[in-house]
Amino acid sequence: MNDLALKELLYKMADDLLILGHRNSEWTGMGPLLEEDIAFSSMAQDKVGQSLALYTMLHQLGEQTPDTVAFTRNANQFHNCVLVELPNQEYDFSLVRHFLFDTADSLRWNILTKSSYEPLAQLAGKIKGELRYHTLHANTWVKQLGSATEESISRLQKSINIVMPYALGIFEESPYETHIIDKGIFEGEKVLMEKWQAKVTEVISQTQLHLPDWKILTPVLGGRKGKHSEHLQPMLEEMSEVFRIDPTAEW
Amino acid sequence: MNSLDPRVIRLPKTGEPGIIQPKVPLDQFGSFEVFVQPKEGKSFQHEGVVHSPNLELAYILAKETFTRRFTCVSLYVVETRNVFASPLTDGNNNVYDLIVDPPPSNKKEPYEIYHLPKRGKQHIHVGQVEAGSPEEAMSFARKKFNTKIIYNVWAVKSADIRFTSIEENDFWITLPEKHFRDAADYKGGDKLKLFLEKQK
Repeated sequence: MNDLALKELLYKMADDLLILGHRNSEWTGMGPLLEEDIAFSSMAQDKVGQSLALYTMLHQLGEQTPDTVAFTRNANQFHNCVLVELPNQEYDFSLVRHFLFDTADSLRWNILTKSSYEPLAQLAGKIKGELRYHTLHANTWVKQLGSATEESISRLQKSINIVMPYALGIFEESPYETHIIDKGIFEGEKVLMEKWQAKVTEVISQTQLHLPDWKILTPVLGGRKGKHSEHLQPMLEEMSEVFRIDPTAEW
Repeated sequence: MNSLDPRVIRLPKTGEPGIIQPKVPLDQFGSFEVFVQPKEGKSFQHEGVVHSPNLELAYILAKETFTRRFTCVSLYVVETRNVFASPLTDGNNNVYDLIVDPPPSNKKEPYEIYHLPKRGKQHIHVGQVEAGSPEEAMSFARKKFNTKIIYNVWAVKSADIRFTSIEENDFWITLPEKHFRDAADYKGGDKLKLFLEKQK
């Protein structure tokens, strides 16, 4: 087994989940409805939990402890896509990002239930209920607000237009793509993107929203190789503030 | 009621015999009643209320509002106005003695029946009857479930409920591991003790 290829896959998944989990947790106490605040915060917590499971897997493959990799790396050592690090704007932005990312994430884990790498297949089976809830939540809100009022439709549409090039960056290919596919670890980003486009189209077609033409969009790439927006480093500094003051702190 | 205790002041008034009416919705976004099954084999019980624009979103919002801690195996929601409530008794008489028989109906549908076994507690699901109206459902429930003194009965048409589907049963698989959501998991007392000892 080429460890580098597997680790690259685990790192990018873990980093996506940690960074988006943190971004979504920034809504805690500020959500648009009390109940939605709780739901969005819970899902953010699920994401951080899933990232912990992946960092633990990496630790078993010889990487440093989960806390060390989560809190001591610099932005250029993170493999998350740029989409997840973008600062929160209005709630429609976070909701659209949640819909586009979680649709991809849940399809990715669904493929991984058949992974030849057993720990990954097991984790995929374990968290499938969390993912089912996350996508049900996202799809229901998008369907509701995407056909409700002029304001809700135009807000979601504006966010879709802004977020979509970044969402395509989820599928930035790894240098080990062929190896990962040949070894049966994962079907690869291309297959995932096709499934994702079909699912996103299916949900959006039940609303008054429309999708931009995939072909003319330029994906925002680079995140998987450590090339990030100016927003990641300040977020990491905030996220790791307590750890840097006292690495033994518990709460 | 002469009391300064807000929990007592807020208790609903006891009812009149024969009156069955829809539960009054709260004056907000639209309210939905949430029922939770805490363990396999245990009855569903009324857990509280969420606000939502529709039934499906009510289900989604109820899931995290009421089942993000402790144990849960299933959940369902129903719009508040679709919950029919019997009169409430003071405990000296049985609510089923206040239920009057309506004229028989033709078209029967399943209704879920809930009992309030104690004032101030939660309504608990006791079973299902086939009836043509909430009034008839309660009248049939009297024949089927009338075994001890009950304070209040609810009847809900099964078709009005957003149930958890079989595939959705996996929503709560990882819940028992989420101890970090319980305040007790922070062990605040232990940490404080340790801190105070260090200060000596």
